[in-house]
Amino acid sequence: MAEPAYTVASDSENTGEEKTSSAFPEIAIGIDIGTSQCSVAVWNGSQVELLKNTRNQKLMRSYVMFRDEIPTGGVSSQLSHEHEILSGAAIFNMKRLIGRVDTDPVVHVSKSLPFLVQTLDIGVRPFIAALVNNVWRSTTPEEVLAIFLVELRAMAELQLKRPIRNVVLTIPVSFSRFQLTRIERACAMAGLHVLRLMPEPTAVALLYAQQQQQTVQDNMGSGSEKLALIFNMGAGYCDVAVTATAGGVSQIKALAGSTIGGEDILQNMMRHLLPNAENLFSSHSVNEIESIGILRIATQDAIHRLSSQTSVQVDVDLGNGVKICKVVDREEFEEVNRNVFEKCESLVKQCLHDAKVDVEDLADVILVGGCSYIPKIHNLVTGICRKEEIYKGMNVLEAAVVGAALEGAVTSGISDPFGSLDLLTIQSTPLGIGIRIEGNQFIPIIPRNTTMPARKELAFTTVRDNQTEALIVVYEGEGHKVEKNHLLGYFKIIGIPPASKGVPEINVCMDIDASNVLRVLAAVALPGAQHPAVPVMEVRMPTVDDGHGWCAEALNRTYGSTMDLVTLQKKI
Amino acid sequence: MAASLGPAHQFLAPKHSHIHHAFLNTGKPVSSCRQRYGVITCCGRKARRSLRLEKNYYELLGVSADSSSREVREAYRKLQKKHHPDVAGQQGHEYTLLLNEAYRVLMRDDLRRDYDASTGRVGTRFRRGCSDIGYSSWKGPVRSHALFVDANACIGCRECVHHASNTFVMDDELGCARVKVQYGDDEQKLEVSAESCPVNCIHWVEREELGLLEFLTQPQPKDGYGVFGGGWERPSNVFMAAKTLSKQLKEQPATTTAATEEETPAQAKARADASMKIKMEKFSRFWKLAELFGLNTWNKK
Repeated sequence: MAEPAYTVASDSENTGEEKTSSAFPEIAIGIDIGTSQCSVAVWNGSQVELLKNTRNQKLMRSYVMFRDEIPTGGVSSQLSHEHEILSGAAIFNMKRLIGRVDTDPVVHVSKSLPFLVQTLDIGVRPFIAALVNNVWRSTTPEEVLAIFLVELRAMAELQLKRPIRNVVLTIPVSFSRFQLTRIERACAMAGLHVLRLMPEPTAVALLYAQQQQQTVQDNMGSGSEKLALIFNMGAGYCDVAVTATAGGVSQIKALAGSTIGGEDILQNMMRHLLPNAENLFSSHSVNEIESIGILRIATQDAIHRLSSQTSVQVDVDLGNGVKICKVVDREEFEEVNRNVFEKCESLVKQCLHDAKVDVEDLADVILVGGCSYIPKIHNLVTGICRKEEIYKGMNVLEAAVVGAALEGAVTSGISDPFGSLDLLTIQSTPLGIGIRIEGNQFIPIIPRNTTMPARKELAFTTVRDNQTEALIVVYEGEGHKVEKNHLLGYFKIIGIPPASKGVPEINVCMDIDASNVLRVLAAVALPGAQHPAVPVMEVRMPTVDDGHGWCAEALNRTYGSTMDLVTLQKKI
Repeated sequence: MAASLGPAHQFLAPKHSHIHHAFLNTGKPVSSCRQRYGVITCCGRKARRSLRLEKNYYELLGVSADSSSREVREAYRKLQKKHHPDVAGQQGHEYTLLLNEAYRVLMRDDLRRDYDASTGRVGTRFRRGCSDIGYSSWKGPVRSHALFVDANACIGCRECVHHASNTFVMDDELGCARVKVQYGDDEQKLEVSAESCPVNCIHWVEREELGLLEFLTQPQPKDGYGVFGGGWERPSNVFMAAKTLSKQLKEQPATTTAATEEETPAQAKARADASMKIKMEKFSRFWKLAELFGLNTWNKK
């Protein structure tokens, strides 16, 4: 793989339209792009198999090195030493950066990474660059991800001896729809077509459903419903799901997720070991980058050792006369990361609450992801769920990709004579979707944890007399105020028949199909009218592009409340 | 939310997948959208109600009107496995939307009661088969025993509500307590509240009996004869009444128990017909309306 075929097949935003059926049954592969590691799996006719790269690795580091003319990713490139990734020439953690604007706190935290993350704090995409021969060469998270995906694709094609087009990708629960479009964009750039995007814990849930079905078949037992909590925490994100499983069907009862993960634990520890680290590394000179790299590796190593030891000695020379010599024990580690663990706890509690499930009724608790090795994580999840033991039979690092490969086989229409693919995942929406009303209020039309596919509708009306235009601004999130939520897009309804305020009826309908495509429809009518006053608008969301951070503000400044809507109080 | 149930169907009618694809494939101009969605508000308020009545969730899921939530769930899963877009492709979209809506309504006691009421099906759940889950909902899995308040004995002291407020509620209209959520509190609290009752009117009963008991303890409209009677009544000894009724029910031929068994071809056909009927009705309505005001659009072209 000296020269990966880096071809940008399509730069189109609308890649989802041909999502129907393919002419020949091609099995979609499952890809799990983790913040730190990534893997590929495929249904090989009798079971799911993880593909290995030329160095026999099933789990590959997620990074792209911009050292030579042709960038190389973690799939094919050979590292002489871990330090190389941290030399500034490699971009990693793209999953934490993709689809975020430069006012996002997650982007700000990433500024202490060895490569360059620059922010202007105005709501545009951050400037990201890799150090190549002492030059900061700019790139984007999408491009980095695409290069990486091309390598993965080439690897899979070589081994499966067929072209690969369809993929099922796992994603964090907390990704906004805008971020999903960025992932789809990266896939399109790599010539891949996204069949499904699965939140990571739901992929694990599907694997669990398969395992349960097999044990039921083996024991000839009853196929009664089993409730399970899945906690997945990797380097970048923490996700929780509650699934109800019976007969190979995994029904997602609730999802909860947040941008919190091993990376935060690592940063907290680095700050703990070297309190003024940010000031020391603010200018990203070559020496500084080297020091960051050394500190990062030492800290990572200490965290790993703290999973099995109760205290570790950190002894490292960062150069430039800065030396760290410290003993860190587990209590200290847990105290330093208290905010992370508290967030995890609240996610688990919230998910159980949303699922309306009592901890006593949980049949199993499943813990996956790299952070599940941390004793504190283990204890807090078992503590909340009042379970002595964690479900066995899940490979902590491979469960998600196996689930994605299963879904890939199911959606490709593959069936298995032994019933191993007699599976189905019934997904639900991780975030509420709604529109802006009365200035800055957010009203969800499809609430969180609605079973997909979903279609809901609400009626709205005008706020002024003879208002002929209305702005539909679509947001995603849970905040009562729109500022707290993600902007997905906006459009204007024109030609509302002149009438007193509160009279015209504006129906806004949202439709999400199984491949998670969101359509927003808006129709205007006067009460008692036989047909809509103007043609119905149908808009595929999200429509926002880069720099959407200030769109909402600009709309507000330009139009104020002149085109506002309120909910229509139904007269019964 | 006020508009959660009814209005959701408005868009169902016009956006039938076949129609949708037909338009996409032929690449007709935007005006076709107008016809397509022209129907939306045409269905208006009046039509909405009839639309809801026509769509029989029970037939759609292939379960009897008195089926338990467990049966509904199993039927839902079985149908999902056949029709979910993951399996059936994009054409499964509309049908799955219907299934999701039916499941959502039938699985929630309050929504199901409203739905039953809107279709004039009140109480049918308790006519046949005694294994039903009654008026109280269950927190967590269904267990073998359940709590039941004998409303005749209850003096309305609120002692049980005080001790286990998540389980018991005071029915102010009837002046007695009743169980709202089975196992809404932990078992210790339940024991305390059962013992705290000064007239011992809180009983642990078999799950199978619960549905019947709760059904019978609700005041029933009494058949009136001539100028006499009418009004509401409930049996003075609800336990005896339950026994008698369940005996009567057993003597009736049990025809509905096969619902969870493997579907017979005839049943499958009946269900397919039901969903087909729903679809065809929508279809015809669509075309009728499209003709009504769509013709003008075509003539202009």
